[in-house]
Amino acid sequence: MELLDYDIIVLGSGIAGLTSAIHASRESGGKKSIALVSKLHVMRSHSVAAEGGISGVLYPDTDNDSEKLHAYDTIKGSDYLADQDAVEILVKGAPEEIKFFDHIGVPWNRREGGKISQRAFGGMSIPRTAFAADKTGFFMMRALYDELLTYDNVEVFNERFATKLVVEKNRADGVIAFNIENGNFEAFRAGETIIATGGASRMYGFTTNSYSNTGDGTAMAYRAGIALKDMEFVQFHPTALIPSGILITEAARGEGGYLKNSNGARFMIDYAKSKMELAPRDIVSRAIISEINAGRGFTDEDSGLEYVHLDLRHLGSSKIDEKLPMIKEMTIKMLRLDPSTDEIPVRPAAHFTMGGIHTNIDGAALNQSEKPIIGLWAVGECACVSIHGANRLGSNSLSQCSVWGRRVGTIAGRWHKDSATQKSSFMEIAENEEKSILEVIDSEGDVNPYEIRDSMHRIMDKYMYVYRNTNGMNVARNELAKLKTKLKDIYVQDRGRLYNTNLREVLEIMNLLDLAQVTVECAIRRRESRGAHVVLEYPKRDDKHWLKHTLAYMSGNKVKVAYIPVKIRGWKPEERRY
Amino acid sequence: MRSSKYSIFTYASMIGVPALLMLILIAMISGYEMYINLFAYVLVIALLVFSTTGLIDVFLHKKYDGSMKKAHVESEIKSNTEPMLKKGSEVDIIVKRFNGSSHNFDKVTYKFFANKFTTVLDALLGIKSHQDSTLAVRCNCRMGICGSCGMVINGRPRLACETNIMEIADSEGGRIEISPMMGHLLLKDTVTEFTDFFERHKSVKPSLYRKNAKEKYSTTKEYQQSSEELDKFLPYSYCIMCGLCLDACPVVNSNPNFIGPQALSQSFRYYRDSRDQKGKRRLFEVDSNEGVWGCEFSGSCSKACPKGVDPATAIQLMKGELISRIAEKDDYAEKK
Repeated sequence: MELLDYDIIVLGSGIAGLTSAIHASRESGGKKSIALVSKLHVMRSHSVAAEGGISGVLYPDTDNDSEKLHAYDTIKGSDYLADQDAVEILVKGAPEEIKFFDHIGVPWNRREGGKISQRAFGGMSIPRTAFAADKTGFFMMRALYDELLTYDNVEVFNERFATKLVVEKNRADGVIAFNIENGNFEAFRAGETIIATGGASRMYGFTTNSYSNTGDGTAMAYRAGIALKDMEFVQFHPTALIPSGILITEAARGEGGYLKNSNGARFMIDYAKSKMELAPRDIVSRAIISEINAGRGFTDEDSGLEYVHLDLRHLGSSKIDEKLPMIKEMTIKMLRLDPSTDEIPVRPAAHFTMGGIHTNIDGAALNQSEKPIIGLWAVGECACVSIHGANRLGSNSLSQCSVWGRRVGTIAGRWHKDSATQKSSFMEIAENEEKSILEVIDSEGDVNPYEIRDSMHRIMDKYMYVYRNTNGMNVARNELAKLKTKLKDIYVQDRGRLYNTNLREVLEIMNLLDLAQVTVECAIRRRESRGAHVVLEYPKRDDKHWLKHTLAYMSGNKVKVAYIPVKIRGWKPEERRY
Repeated sequence: MRSSKYSIFTYASMIGVPALLMLILIAMISGYEMYINLFAYVLVIALLVFSTTGLIDVFLHKKYDGSMKKAHVESEIKSNTEPMLKKGSEVDIIVKRFNGSSHNFDKVTYKFFANKFTTVLDALLGIKSHQDSTLAVRCNCRMGICGSCGMVINGRPRLACETNIMEIADSEGGRIEISPMMGHLLLKDTVTEFTDFFERHKSVKPSLYRKNAKEKYSTTKEYQQSSEELDKFLPYSYCIMCGLCLDACPVVNSNPNFIGPQALSQSFRYYRDSRDQKGKRRLFEVDSNEGVWGCEFSGSCSKACPKGVDPATAIQLMKGELISRIAEKDDYAEKK
């Protein structure tokens, strides 16, 4: 096995990972050696699928906007579970990031006179979402990738699947990964490790996420004894395409699209009178499911999925072509429906993991006693700072990834820690890890791992969806535990070393199952309804008992849960109305 | 609809001209000289009439094609949805699998039940999950934006996630044949190696250049850009780096030194961006036989691109700009 020594390892190559790598490199003056390790080709991470835009107050004077207002919208949107000191950092940093992306080539849509255009988004008081048509994430990724090519001290490792995070004596010393292309294990030893591996919505069957969003970094951190925060909060995006779950951007409603039930009525008037279709996502998703439950939805005969209509016809084809070209391309290619003449069938799909690796406001991952693990950071969707609390506002995620990408990258680039683990003991850890993975390949059971995955999807889609209830969550807990035992009896059909995605997928299923269990355990305990977590028996938000973050640790085979207070600055919790 | 494309004269000429020629021939053989002249006159007049109407036809035809294109797409959408709505059917998916250890190909036929929504990627992943888990597939977003799943489907380079099975099964003879992109090094099954492709991209220095690097990384002000300036490079910025254009390029396939359509189109993308300050130096960097002059303008790259980037046009436009800047180029070479 090869030992690869670096100053910094960035694990994951979405917007958070690429931004971290660039800023770490810059801050170190090109002196630190940085390994960018990704299980994909680095330009193909799920960030490319972000559509609608990135939030930030660009022109406070002329637009009558302010960072304070952006903060208020975010905190109210989070159902007051966001840490307000973190939100202040977000809103302050976001406008700078939009300009930075302009400087590296993102083709922002423009206003008359050349300024950057901004569109309306759910839960935002004022249009403050900068966008590049409806491919914003893709353009940001391409700009970052192209910019990264100018940094000689960042070495890119494509298609490496990390299986273990090495944490010894409260210090992170690197990761063990295998090269998917040839199956060889590699021991990446480094003083500093940045995890940027994205969300875990693939624990659901109906999701907007790419196949890669399997929470690998989060699961690795969890297994290394690091705390996960607020994992019960999963965002369901109101408008995902039937039957694939492909995302139809919130910008479709931001540009004026309507949601209609089977009576042809704009039902949002019954749920969010003032904001209508542009209420925050948790509210719109609940509204859609309520309509469907009341028999005012449609049913797709092939998939059996129930849905409502997203109507863009009144926008006209020229507006759709200019502002929403990808939506048009997608609906025509996938469903043979043209949004300028046909209504689009949509329903809520798992979209964003609000929870994640517990970090402080500098992105440093925290141990069980709330102290930073030396040399370990988490950035982007895999981290929970927390900015989004119980419900993220659309377009705040791209700002989060870039603001904390810069913040963590800069700190890591400036900081210095040598890898404390001796070469011999690091190699020993790596060889043990290789052995345990090879054991997975050699499993001789009779259970198809993909059937375990499918069962997990069914459980999560049914019991852990937009509306939850205690009974259902208990069923989910038991069923997931059964699946976990079944994992021991799986087989891995592909035993080769070359491009073995069978093995990779089995390991991903294991990661997802761990995180699904954490999600259920945290959700069962929270006896209130807040943001995206709604329990029928406890329909109200309960600030007296539950204005707090959930922390989950691995303790033996069990999930241990603890709570910490929410950081409230100037914004006192109030009733959330739209 | 297609039968009404040409006027009656064109069809008449198809029959009339050979018929008159035959009559002249018969008259010559039979010795009726006065008839020969008569037929010859008629032939000349007929040819005149036919060629005029033919020209009108060509004109009409062009117009017809242009205006019908949209209507055609729409009717395709409608007509394809209806019969497929109710039922799916079992389709043969033939995968030309590459074995990375033995370097052999193996054609395997899988049966897969597809409905009106099923894409080739859905089928491959379905096969992998429930029939044969050894099948290697590279994919991620399944919505045509990450660029992972380029492969050759029924002889054409395409993205598996954007290719609807029923649609091509209907129009391309009922079967789906999949093979890897042969223009790239092969890894396993449909998965190919990308190192070479990424190197080509990197070699044109595809990043926004500013004279003042410090200012580039400052975040106080955006660079202003008008919508017109945006439109100049926007069409070339849609590249998802899927590798299909490189696979389709006949020049790269016979001369690997030619840098290829993807990299050149990206060079052009930054050249056209009003925020980029490298100016014509970008052109001179690709002013070589390995660069733009290697392109023989077959246009296959633009045809293969799933995102509507038009590398072929980008390259020709760069050639044009270079020709008009020959003098400046000498200047540049001297300075260098």
